Amino acid sequence: MPQSRAYIWFVGPALLLMFVILLIPILIAGGLSLTDYSLGNSGASFVGLENYERIFTRSTYEKMFGATFRYVFVVVPLTVGLGLGAALLIHSLGRFGDLYKTIYFLPVMAALIAMAIVWEFAFHPTIGIVNATLERGCGTVLERWGWYAQGCARTFPLWLNDRDYAIWTVSFIGVWQGFGFNMVLYLAGLTSIPPSLYDAAEMDGAKRGWDRFRLVTWPLLGPTTVFVVTISFIRSFQVFDMVEAFYPQGGGPSKSVYVMMFAIYEKGIQQNLMGIGAAITVVFLCFVMILTLIQRWFVERRTHYV
Amino acid sequence: MSDAALSAAGVDAKAAGLRFNTRAALTHAVLIVGALIVLLPFYTMVSLSLKAPHEIMQQTGGFLGAQELFRDDFCIKLGNAVADCMVNPIAYNYSTAFEKAPLLRYLLNGVIVTVSIFVIQVIVALPCAYALAKLRFWGREAVFALVLFCLLIPVHAIALPLYIMLAKLGLTNSYAALIIPWTISVFGIFLMRQFFMTVPDDLIDAARMDGMSEYAIIWQVMLPTAIPALMAFGIFSVVAHWNDYFWPRIVITGNRDLFTPPLGLREFKGDADGDNFGPMMATACIIVTPLIVCFLLAQRRFIEGITLSGMK
Repeated sequence: MPQSRAYIWFVGPALLLMFVILLIPILIAGGLSLTDYSLGNSGASFVGLENYERIFTRSTYEKMFGATFRYVFVVVPLTVGLGLGAALLIHSLGRFGDLYKTIYFLPVMAALIAMAIVWEFAFHPTIGIVNATLERGCGTVLERWGWYAQGCARTFPLWLNDRDYAIWTVSFIGVWQGFGFNMVLYLAGLTSIPPSLYDAAEMDGAKRGWDRFRLVTWPLLGPTTVFVVTISFIRSFQVFDMVEAFYPQGGGPSKSVYVMMFAIYEKGIQQNLMGIGAAITVVFLCFVMILTLIQRWFVERRTHYV
Repeated sequence: MSDAALSAAGVDAKAAGLRFNTRAALTHAVLIVGALIVLLPFYTMVSLSLKAPHEIMQQTGGFLGAQELFRDDFCIKLGNAVADCMVNPIAYNYSTAFEKAPLLRYLLNGVIVTVSIFVIQVIVALPCAYALAKLRFWGREAVFALVLFCLLIPVHAIALPLYIMLAKLGLTNSYAALIIPWTISVFGIFLMRQFFMTVPDDLIDAARMDGMSEYAIIWQVMLPTAIPALMAFGIFSVVAHWNDYFWPRIVITGNRDLFTPPLGLREFKGDADGDNFGPMMATACIIVTPLIVCFLLAQRRFIEGITLSGMK
């Protein structure tokens, strides 16, 4: 064979980089998580599982998990639901649909850090457009709503600086940014459904739109949904840009927005507590890998790569 | 057919048409409300980048602002006459964006980093993908299994050990630090391998008959066939790294000459008092615009590229 040993030179560099950049760091993180290492110190002492114990007992980390899961469990269902909803509506339109698609996809393209700064301005309690708009509704029927009347009587929420609202406001921005991505994936899924199936379903008596959705669209979108849900989980677990931009120190009002990536950054980079940072990294990786393995399990019941 | 039946059918058709129309109208109404919410921050961003500071603080001036000249207090502080310090809001915002921080330098850094990352990713991934798809060798299945495993690892998540490694090598605060972690794209390998699987073996055999070396086959035969897939991957890669904030934030500490656009914007925010909202929004506009314009020009390709990960 003329191909000889050329493959070594083809696969070698990629293999080497995979080990150095992806695999060895995981081992390093695993190793460091058992120590109290700091960058610049000559040595480190072995502390066993102390770092993990801290993560699962201290209230700071309880807040970290609380904030992360709140964010994830708001953003994932909403981005998936809104993505599917927008895709169904746009798909039913035909003409003009492309215009909406373009608009809804814009946030995916824009640098999140830039848009986060704009949202921060929009949510500004005194000069932001959100509260200014809400104030305009004062004195109308909206005041019948208790929350609204309270806002008019005193002030509307401080949003990002209000510990009861901060995590939800950040989640809202996450949804705003992410649902267009899911919409596009769902649109691709929808166009691959053969129209003849709808005709067949209609002949079998599925006259209402809801029946057609339940019997044809939803089952056939199954693989798309599995993928969309997984990638939404992984993306939302990694939320960082907004949190760092809004709250450079400490993770928001009474740590209510102290998400995991920010905790890794704060402990490891800002405070040079590599041991605890590495332990959070390991926990984080476990979450992500479990999620992806669940997805693979779903997918591999249907398709095979090789 | 009797007249009555005909007119009944007509009424039916009209009713159906009406129902269809109200339905479409409702759909549009919902989508338009959604579109307004999606566009709100873009509107705010562009609008604020055009207005004078007092218009921003008092929320006056509509979208464009009055565009009256206003007094630049900083200019007066420098000892200039008041008449020389009257500036137009747009000119003030955008020129401050470029003057206060080396924004051009940041943009250039962004281009250098994203382009280098993409080029290196291709140089590493393409031969590997070719070998995995078209060559038979011992351990091929193991390598591919490894690629599939590495797809599980988000690089952001292992930032800490990567940072320690780079720090030990003395590489933080360098272009190398910005580029190295991204040189290997297992996703790129996987994607190109799937693509090469669809290229007929005859093409490669013919090239071998012509006496081409395996290297030549990769760069002269496989590369041209892979252009569409590469473009999609390129868009995916460039968008991700132009917008990336987390990694530059970690490895670039203080050396402004190496700031990428998101870092530059973040720094602007750090010292923003009321007067700086206009220039800050101008900076945001400048950073966001290149990708948005490319996206609007080549929408289909962009959507393909960004959703490529859907093929996993």
